[in-house]
Amino acid sequence: MVTFIVILALLLLMGGYVVAIYNALIAMIEAVRNNNKQIDIQLDRRYKVFESLVEVVKKYMDYEKSTLKEVVALRSQAQAAKEVGNDAARMTAENKISGILSGLNVVFEQYPDLKASQNARQLQEEIVSTENKLAYAKQAYNDSIERYNAKKKSFFESMVVNLFSKLNCDFPYWQLTQDNVQAKEDYRIKLS
Amino acid sequence: MPSTLRDFTTTTADWRRSLRQNRRRTFYVIITFLLIYLALGGLIDLYLYSGSFPQASLSHIGMALITFQLWPKATIVVVVVAVIALWVTYAFADRLMLLGIEYRKITPDTAQNAREQQLYNVVEEMKVAAGLHFMPTVYVMDADYMNAFASGYSEKSAMVAITRGLMEKLDRDELAAVMAHELSHIRHMDIRLTLTASVLANITLIVIDILFFSTLFGGRNGREGRGRNQLFIIILLLRYLLPLVTVILMLYLSRTREYMADAGSVELMRTNEPLARALLKIQGDHEQHQAEYGAAYAATPHESLRREAYIFDPCQMQLANRQSMASDFFSTHPSLAKRLKAIGVTKKSV
Repeated sequence: MVTFIVILALLLLMGGYVVAIYNALIAMIEAVRNNNKQIDIQLDRRYKVFESLVEVVKKYMDYEKSTLKEVVALRSQAQAAKEVGNDAARMTAENKISGILSGLNVVFEQYPDLKASQNARQLQEEIVSTENKLAYAKQAYNDSIERYNAKKKSFFESMVVNLFSKLNCDFPYWQLTQDNVQAKEDYRIKLS
Repeated sequence: MPSTLRDFTTTTADWRRSLRQNRRRTFYVIITFLLIYLALGGLIDLYLYSGSFPQASLSHIGMALITFQLWPKATIVVVVVAVIALWVTYAFADRLMLLGIEYRKITPDTAQNAREQQLYNVVEEMKVAAGLHFMPTVYVMDADYMNAFASGYSEKSAMVAITRGLMEKLDRDELAAVMAHELSHIRHMDIRLTLTASVLANITLIVIDILFFSTLFGGRNGREGRGRNQLFIIILLLRYLLPLVTVILMLYLSRTREYMADAGSVELMRTNEPLARALLKIQGDHEQHQAEYGAAYAATPHESLRREAYIFDPCQMQLANRQSMASDFFSTHPSLAKRLKAIGVTKKSV
């Protein structure tokens, strides 16, 4: 009788432990998914900020016309890649938009009266904030993947993951492609 | 001469380790608090039962209590009291923190100038980085000194408040670092934790006081046994020891949470330099304007409520030059040098 109770108690304890791990992993998977969508939200927001920015600088230069076209093209590339679920192509396109946007900030510096206008300064703050939010959203996404992967691969947890295939997701970290990393690393600002 | 970051060597900060270490420390502190509290309940039970069974020795009664042959009634009562007190505190703690200061809520629509807009943006960025599901309310306090604090832990009550002085004197990155520190307090649930600890500590002190006075004046009618006399000595000692112990534990907890918030700030920013610069600036600014800020702090009512929550403890101004063990032991925040060292910034030896 006593052994029976002890075994029952142990089984209950183990069962409870497995349930706890299961629930924790599910919560983490959903957090990763949500953080991934947060990147989308920020990308969308950036596009809108970019549009209003171009409106402001339009009077000052021709620069934006070709830039805008380029951005729209990249944007639809990213959108298409997103629909087929090609994360790598999407990342490349979005990263290119980032490059253009930082170029625009440099352009700002070249036009003193543009720089001085209240409107433009607000927009500049807006660009910095938008880019920061996007970067932080990517960081939060990668962080949540790190937490999930570390948990999933730990001892005990990995055994539970083997029991339920649903718990075993493979999320790619948000990262630059290999060539892109090389290009970014070689990049130098030329002060002539 | 306030020091700048140039006097320091910056290395990368291992925030993961810092978070782990301090989470463990917090666990020990909370366990100690709970044990003290339960032990106190047990002490009352011992006292009560040694009145009912004057012949039994204390160890006998203790054994009976632990094995539940006697019901630990008092322990159960004090636990219930603690649960109710905590529940009431959680429900009403929200609006306490802004008592006595002039403040203004900042939203994208009410921002009056570029700085306020920037402040809101910075908080929003950090919210994204922290993956918080809600945006804390942002307040600007009308004061010249440089300080900031956070309060709350849920969507309804989360807030960060920052003085006008801080908002105007820090650059964008430094502001972000300070806000990351404050948001880290929120996401680490520090406010709930310190509330819990302080409520437990206060009840502990009240209970030991009641016990002390009832043993002192409670009918000495001669029917009490040896046990009660032995207990009285313990109660007497505890009455003078416990206040000290709880204060030291509370302050240790507070310093631990500060280290964690610093590490959390580095975690969100992925760089330790802005936070180091901000802390040095705040310290330098406080040293420079020591007299006026001291007066300003003193003139603001209910300042002591916020002392622990501030990113920089105003009381440390006076202690800054005395780097003794005692001042470390009795402060809510670690010293600046220690905080900087914990995030990987050490002073260059001259």
